[in-house]
Amino acid sequence: MGDVILTMKGIDKSFPGVHALDHVNLEVRKGEVHALMGENGAGKSTLMKVLTGIYTKDSGTITYEGKEIEFHNTREAQDAGIVIVHQELNMLNHLTVAQNIFIGREFKKGIRIDDKRMNEEARKLFNKLNIDIDPTAMMGDLTVGKQQMCEIAKAISHEAKVIIFDEPSAALTESEIEELFKIIRDLREQNLGIVYISHRMDEIKVITDRVTVMRDGTYVGTLITKDCTKNDIINMMVGRVIYEDPKTHSMVPDDAPVILKVENLNAGKMVQNVSFELRKGEILGFSGLMGAGRTETARAIFGADPKESGDIYINGEKVTINNPQDAVKLGIGYLSEDRKRYGVAVQKTVAENTTLATLDEFVNGILIDKKKETEIAQKFVDSLATKTPSVDQLVVNLSGGNQQKVVIAKWLTRNSDILIFDEPTRGIDVGAKSEIYKLMNKLAEEGKSIIMISSEMTEILRMSDRIVIMCEGKITGTIDISEATQENIMNLATREIG
Amino acid sequence: MEKFKNSPIVKKIGLNRILLVGVLIVMYIIFAIISPTFLSYSRILSALNYVYFLGFLSLGVTFVIATGGIDFSIGPVMFCCALVAGYSLTSYGVPMPAAMVISILVGACFGIFNGYLVAYCSIPPFIVSMASMNIAKGLASVFTKTQSVSWPQSSAEGGWYRNLVKMGNIPVGLFIFLAVAVVCAIILNKSKIGRYILCLGSNKEAVRLSGVNVKKWEMTAYIICGTLAGISAIFFVSAYTTVQPGYGDTYNNEAIAGCVMGGTSMAGGLASISGTVIGVFIIALLQEGIMALGLNKNFQLIITGIIVIAAVYFDVMGRRRKN
Repeated sequence: MGDVILTMKGIDKSFPGVHALDHVNLEVRKGEVHALMGENGAGKSTLMKVLTGIYTKDSGTITYEGKEIEFHNTREAQDAGIVIVHQELNMLNHLTVAQNIFIGREFKKGIRIDDKRMNEEARKLFNKLNIDIDPTAMMGDLTVGKQQMCEIAKAISHEAKVIIFDEPSAALTESEIEELFKIIRDLREQNLGIVYISHRMDEIKVITDRVTVMRDGTYVGTLITKDCTKNDIINMMVGRVIYEDPKTHSMVPDDAPVILKVENLNAGKMVQNVSFELRKGEILGFSGLMGAGRTETARAIFGADPKESGDIYINGEKVTINNPQDAVKLGIGYLSEDRKRYGVAVQKTVAENTTLATLDEFVNGILIDKKKETEIAQKFVDSLATKTPSVDQLVVNLSGGNQQKVVIAKWLTRNSDILIFDEPTRGIDVGAKSEIYKLMNKLAEEGKSIIMISSEMTEILRMSDRIVIMCEGKITGTIDISEATQENIMNLATREIG
Repeated sequence: MEKFKNSPIVKKIGLNRILLVGVLIVMYIIFAIISPTFLSYSRILSALNYVYFLGFLSLGVTFVIATGGIDFSIGPVMFCCALVAGYSLTSYGVPMPAAMVISILVGACFGIFNGYLVAYCSIPPFIVSMASMNIAKGLASVFTKTQSVSWPQSSAEGGWYRNLVKMGNIPVGLFIFLAVAVVCAIILNKSKIGRYILCLGSNKEAVRLSGVNVKKWEMTAYIICGTLAGISAIFFVSAYTTVQPGYGDTYNNEAIAGCVMGGTSMAGGLASISGTVIGVFIIALLQEGIMALGLNKNFQLIITGIIVIAAVYFDVMGRRRKN
């Protein structure tokens, strides 16, 4: 680790009704990977937004390369050498890799854009990073992992001195994460200061040198990674004991009836001849790599996307599901992996979102019974421990984990028997995660049947009674939890199909 | 100012609406100083004529904008309703109550047409309503053989309909308009229809995945809008009696301006009926004031255009600040 390059001291920021940052400190040195950790809503993103000029701080100082600075927009921060690699990729799929990297600052020859020079410069960048990507390829043809590499290359091309990675691994496969770490280590060698935001505890231990922990907008402390244990960090983050209780055997009784049966379901390339059974009270894990067709399968069953063929039976009876309305009527609930797009109406209140799937039950004549609605919403806010000032709060003001709880409340209000959880804990912090696990187990005990799609191996192994593994649109195997290991799941998930 | 902003009463009513009422009052005072006739009761009554028909249009389009859509056809559709119903009245001898029903039905049909194409055929509302604007104009011209239509005068047979606007010196229209506005507010804020319309305006896909028939509710917004255009037509002729085919587009912008000025977001999901009502009063006052100042109608077009842009700009900026 070298000299200090960036110091944020006593940063304070309030929004109406929320004290988002309460005198937070962060110090980044040259040649270190500095983890920034905290539960969702702890203020990590807000702190980074203050740093890069998206938000203006109320008080506190930012010292960068020995001078006190304040940026007014991301462009200024970029020019000074501070860049963010976002979790969501901001790439234009119909442009080439090089065009994406140099967008907004294209090389020109007269008034023409000099594509040749951009390709050359991009190639140089990739060489420097040891990445193998063709600058002339279309961005849309690359895998998510490669796109992320391009995003990093773009950041480097700004002559960055400090790079902030905002949950870079969320969408990557294991091997892509390995590659990412190699690049991050290279950058560290080159004496850059790196801030690494992630929820994945294992990664923190592997890649980072120091950890700064935040909780509820306050600074908790900074540790040297190799001197602390995983539990030290978790305790600092949540200040409570974490629920860790992996399943060793199926909790489903042998005589539990089959509640949902899917036979030879086909829907495009991503869903081919999918057949499986879900039993009452079961948590059926769906494992596989990104793009294995798990979400597509769930959406096809739920009627969100059209099916080509296949039969669905609920409680032994053949049913027709042409759209989500049919599915909801039959008692299926779907919790999407992308809450903001498919889960909640963010400009509406917690109460309004809670009753969205059951509004008919709250209608008195023609008017909505607001009192009853508030009661039910409040009941679920209490029982799920959703953090919100009131049920009249707009969902947009809640953190990811709490938004997820609102979506869960929506389906619990509906009393759906079959729940499809698609990446239930994506982007959710450790504390809220264990609460959601507890909740899923409780639902299963009460006789609800759950399909859980997850890309996290630990989650699959901890929660599932049985695991279905998909690869390239096909089911490659089904394993009982008592026989499941990381290895045999991975084998099936990467199996080549002729 | 901070203290004022945070007081419970201001929060309940909304700062935006309080400011709008302020604007309305200031405008009225300015016009009254420039032209003292504004103080006379009969002048106020005639100014209110503009409020009624524009108000119904604006109420209707509030529902459509709440879904995140837009309807540029309401003005010509309103004229089409007045022309078709009026022509039936004068040339086919249809009785007055039936003519009114025809007007409302024609409006509702346009609502169904627009709503079906937007919700079920996924054609952008902008395109649909631009096209149906022309259809409405053309249809009215064909039906009336390009003749203007005059509804009966007060003294003529069937002339009682003019009491809808004004009975002696009582502004009946105002009461009807406010009553309809209250019904609209209840539908929008307290009923299932309004809830679904606002939610799908905020995130249509999330509502669809909650098992709601979003197409049906989206179409409903357009039907409400079209039906109100049909009612608007009745109040237009009650006030002015004569309608000419081929016109009506300027009322689109005025109705939309009243709506967005009142705090309804063009992005959908947020709408306010009371805001729309105040917005309509401002637009109507503006039109009277411009005439009183001796400026021609074109100035009103310019000002309405600027109001739409300004209102949408503030909405967009407010949204950005929130995010």
